[in-house]
Amino acid sequence: MTEQNEKGKEAIHEDEEEQPEVQKIWSWGAGTDGQLGTGRLEDEHLPQLLHFPSLASAGPIFLLACGGAHVIALTSGGRVMTWGRGASGQLGHGEMVNNLYPKAVTSLQNDFIIHVSAGWSHSGFVADSGCLFTCGDGSFGQLGHGDYKSHCSPVRVSFFANEHVEQIACGMRHSLVLLKGCHIYAFGSGKRGQLGISEGKIKSVSVPKVTQALEEVKIASIAANGDHSAALSFDGHLYTWGRGFGGTPDTHFPQCSSSSFLFTRAALGWNHALALTDGAQVFMLGGSHHGFLGDLEKIRPAKQLPDSREAILEKVLGLDGTKVLHIAAGAEHSAVGHLDDLLPKKLSKWSAHSQKNDLQDSEFRSTKQRKYQGRGSRQRLLGSISKSIPIAQYQLGEWPWLDEHTIGLVWLDNFDDTNSCLEFEAILKKT
Amino acid sequence: MSYDDVEIEDMEWNVELQAYTYPCPCGDLFQITKDELRLGEEIARCPSCSLYITVVYNIEDFLGDSDQRNKKLEPPKQQPIAVA
Ligand SMILES: [Zn+2]
Repeated sequence: MTEQNEKGKEAIHEDEEEQPEVQKIWSWGAGTDGQLGTGRLEDEHLPQLLHFPSLASAGPIFLLACGGAHVIALTSGGRVMTWGRGASGQLGHGEMVNNLYPKAVTSLQNDFIIHVSAGWSHSGFVADSGCLFTCGDGSFGQLGHGDYKSHCSPVRVSFFANEHVEQIACGMRHSLVLLKGCHIYAFGSGKRGQLGISEGKIKSVSVPKVTQALEEVKIASIAANGDHSAALSFDGHLYTWGRGFGGTPDTHFPQCSSSSFLFTRAALGWNHALALTDGAQVFMLGGSHHGFLGDLEKIRPAKQLPDSREAILEKVLGLDGTKVLHIAAGAEHSAVGHLDDLLPKKLSKWSAHSQKNDLQDSEFRSTKQRKYQGRGSRQRLLGSISKSIPIAQYQLGEWPWLDEHTIGLVWLDNFDDTNSCLEFEAILKKT
Repeated sequence: MSYDDVEIEDMEWNVELQAYTYPCPCGDLFQITKDELRLGEEIARCPSCSLYITVVYNIEDFLGDSDQRNKKLEPPKQQPIAVA
């Protein structure tokens, strides 16, 4: 470990002399559609440091969004690069082919893009002018153009021509849009209630509709993944709607989570939600079926609550003493970013827990999980990791088999974190 | 354990794969062919990982739906079929 630290410091020193800021991007996990940006169509079990000339010339990356098998990178200069699976047009390059390397979305070059989101097979881009563009699979109406057509170049969503769009969140087959003035609009598949526009079952809508029950709430941010939707209000309340968490029924309108904590960030998977409190603690809704970070015995009683109609926000144990600054969720896994230098310790502690669980609780590891381990299947980080938080990253909602299941992209913008990341890599190699 | 129960109407027909598909969390697609559905198969598997889903469908909807080439291979309706 110490040796890694030393090496890290050397590397940092070199960089310091040449350039004022270092940005490194790492990727790992499923890669058979080119989504890792490594130039290979292979899964990677360890974080790969990416070297792309095309990215370096585009300027520093401000935000990364990981979709089903594609990635959208937004530079601080408002430019957009995409790579990975493009079969539905989600890369926005005017053709429906995969791209192994980051490539600029040229049709957006006249706009300064400030927000992006990647869904299962569609993409959304918000310009500083308030214009919204979408491309990719539109067969559920998730592009918002009033039809069910797919597009391989970003098309402006004319419904919002007279509105100022601030954010977009793309789920598996639906999209949420946050307008300046705080209204949320939704379109695409609505079968699980994820649009929040009607009490009854809605198969899909292709024209944006206002999400109900939030008209009086000042919304700060939105999130979508799988068949879930979420919003955070400026006063710290978390609202979720769509597919139920942890076996609870679907909810067709936004529900405010009953918690005395105030939240500053939310991230969604396909079966769980993460929420970060203003006190840097992480809470989770659902998601227990693939394992926990923390003490299983302490968690168990809560799991066996009588059939509640509402999933309970539970604190993620095992992060005590860690100041978590950022959270991200993949379909079935989670990641946190934190500034404290306890990362290696945390990782070892967590691995020990997982092993203990394996031995003592065979029920804990379902057949599914055993298969996951045995056959080396793949998971990915669908969440995005933004520039604002220097990140050191590890899984918390999932397996000890880190080297098999994660794809993620790590942003680093200060030297201390480069150091953490090197330690992180060392640990991965040890396991 | 099945990852999820998915209704056939929520699956997409993929011309290239000649199969009904549904997104798998690994990034690939769960797949099941019409022939499999006709035989009463209700498990759609992902070729890239070990996950699978249970497909909820009406077998009668598929017994009549067959092209010329497959017609001779179509199982008789009396054949015992495991359907949930
Ligand atoms: Zn899979």
